[in-house]
Amino acid sequence: MNARDELIRRLAIKRRRQLGSLSTEAFEELELAVRENPSAFVEDAEEEAFALVAQALARLDESRHDDDLLDDEQFMQARAQRLARLEATCAQALSLDENCGDALLLQLLAADHSPDELVGRLLDLDARLEEACGPLATGATGDAWADVFSRPHLRVRAALARTCADTARFGMARSICEDLLTLAPFDHLGARLTLALTLARLEDEDGFEWLDVREGRKGNAWFHLSRALLMYKLGRMPAARRALNGYDRLCTGGAYILLQPIFVDTYLPDRPAFEPGSFLEATLAAHEAEPIIVDTPDFTWWASEQPGFYTSAIGYCERNGLDWRDPNAM
Amino acid sequence: MAFDPQREDYQRLGLRFARSLDTSNPAEATRAFATFGRRFARERDTLPQSDGDRAFHLVATAAKHIDYELPFATDEEAENLIQHGHALLDEALQLDARCYDAMRMKAAADNPSFEAFFSFLTEGAEEVRRTCVEQRDHILANGESDERTLLAADIALRPYLRWIATQAEQALICGRNREAVRLTQVGLEADPHDSADMRFTAALAYAKLEDEQGLDALLLGPTATRGTRPANDPWTLLARLALAHKRYDLRAASDLLAELIRTYPHAAESLVRQIELPEGVFARLSVRPYSEDELVLALSEATVLLQEGRDPEGRGVLGVWLAGQAAQTLPRAVLQMLAEQAEANARAMGSSNQDGPR
Repeated sequence: MNARDELIRRLAIKRRRQLGSLSTEAFEELELAVRENPSAFVEDAEEEAFALVAQALARLDESRHDDDLLDDEQFMQARAQRLARLEATCAQALSLDENCGDALLLQLLAADHSPDELVGRLLDLDARLEEACGPLATGATGDAWADVFSRPHLRVRAALARTCADTARFGMARSICEDLLTLAPFDHLGARLTLALTLARLEDEDGFEWLDVREGRKGNAWFHLSRALLMYKLGRMPAARRALNGYDRLCTGGAYILLQPIFVDTYLPDRPAFEPGSFLEATLAAHEAEPIIVDTPDFTWWASEQPGFYTSAIGYCERNGLDWRDPNAM
Repeated sequence: MAFDPQREDYQRLGLRFARSLDTSNPAEATRAFATFGRRFARERDTLPQSDGDRAFHLVATAAKHIDYELPFATDEEAENLIQHGHALLDEALQLDARCYDAMRMKAAADNPSFEAFFSFLTEGAEEVRRTCVEQRDHILANGESDERTLLAADIALRPYLRWIATQAEQALICGRNREAVRLTQVGLEADPHDSADMRFTAALAYAKLEDEQGLDALLLGPTATRGTRPANDPWTLLARLALAHKRYDLRAASDLLAELIRTYPHAAESLVRQIELPEGVFARLSVRPYSEDELVLALSEATVLLQEGRDPEGRGVLGVWLAGQAAQTLPRAVLQMLAEQAEANARAMGSSNQDGPR
């Protein structure tokens, strides 16, 4: 989540409301001025709260820089401190604006509830925001994301969809993702990625094809992995092999990360930004797919048996000086 | 009704014995048949039997060892039971190269992965179907239309029904839920009375696919008369419960849980334990309807539903919820005992599993 940019946009829009209608150029000028010094434009408790959340997220990003240097215990300690700090800032933000969607969402996520518990709480939060801010709507631009004040609620919805998928509620995940794609067709939050995995798990080939066409068949780590899983589950092995091959060729480190999953921390509040085709992309996709992969118990074994896949994984590992753990010892 | 290997062994020899009797002298035949039970139990070799019958007897004995004795055996006994069981299956195949039960049971042990076993079953299915259907049709065409002929025809088809039922179960375990549904539909067409209880596997697969309509059609549609019991078997209840939990209808899920607890003895304990049993290699274990064992068995097969999803305990989202809800209905002393048992089991598993889990 790019909280700083959102804060600037929110403040500029609120100032414009005061000034009356502005030309596009004038609005851009205004945005530049806000960017220089956002705090000078904060004029109500709602924005004060949002600014606190933006600061907290910036601090969170910074505090993660040294994570690689920590051992497991130190990491867990640092993480706990980080989440406690985040929680405290969210509480502060909520004392200013009790319906600050991002503070409410981050507070829930930082509490480390079990995913099953989280589903219920996110459903409540979604209902609460709907009551406080009205239902999400596509708006004049055709995409709810264009209204920066709708974004916190959209993030809650996307988190709910991911948590539904995490708790094996794929029917719910599918309908929430489909709604999100209607509300916000440009899909900045990547509901289509959750949906791709969900359709693979539900073995819904027609649904998946529809989504793939909607994506212009451009593919990414989620889509390649979902297709491989879907074809494998449907027993269409030549197609499954082709999809797996595509995943291996087009997703940097994809083979490695499928055979050597690594810890990915809670998304705070949404999926981290990634470069298309990057190792991070494959890592996030494999992480989100994990419950579905485990539910298809021989899938990774089968993948590692496909010509070139294992070699590709080992090759990526060696070229990048990564660890290789014996899968039997995990 | 599941398949009971001992009973089927008895039925096979009984049918053959009856056919060998002189039908022109009913009194004599009745008198002779009165000796059958004793001879079956003690002087089996004096009864007429084909190589197929002999092979099936070995299969039934192997099934007794592997499916019914092994789960209760010590490590040492277990090794013997397995070896003996496999020797019996080898011998069965020497007697009857088309003893599909033996072939399938051997393959269950010989194939290293679910995937490999599933592929084996898929490759063999058509031949097994053809052979068994031919045998059945031959019996129906040449026999009188009496009960015995119908039973013999029924028995001829059973190896195929067990084959396809196993195939469907394996598909479910492999995460191939649509294939599991398709296979149960094929099986139910061949066996409209569902003597293999394939609808139980279908119910679990529909729950995995979150296809409530599919489940309703299976249970409420024109085929609802199949089977001799209402749809309150534990497979169907667990499938419905999983569906309710998946749509976050916790009220409905709790109601179904209460129904399980009302219907099955010691249900709460079983729901807390959630023991995972090995699948029966002959067929789904034959247990009494509405017994504690039946729920234990269904819970074990429902592992695919219980253990799915992320949860901090690694037990699966539905598994944790079920255990938590069921635990609330139990006194503290019982929970304490269950926890101690679980701990002891985990320790035992840990010591015998030092190579690490798969």
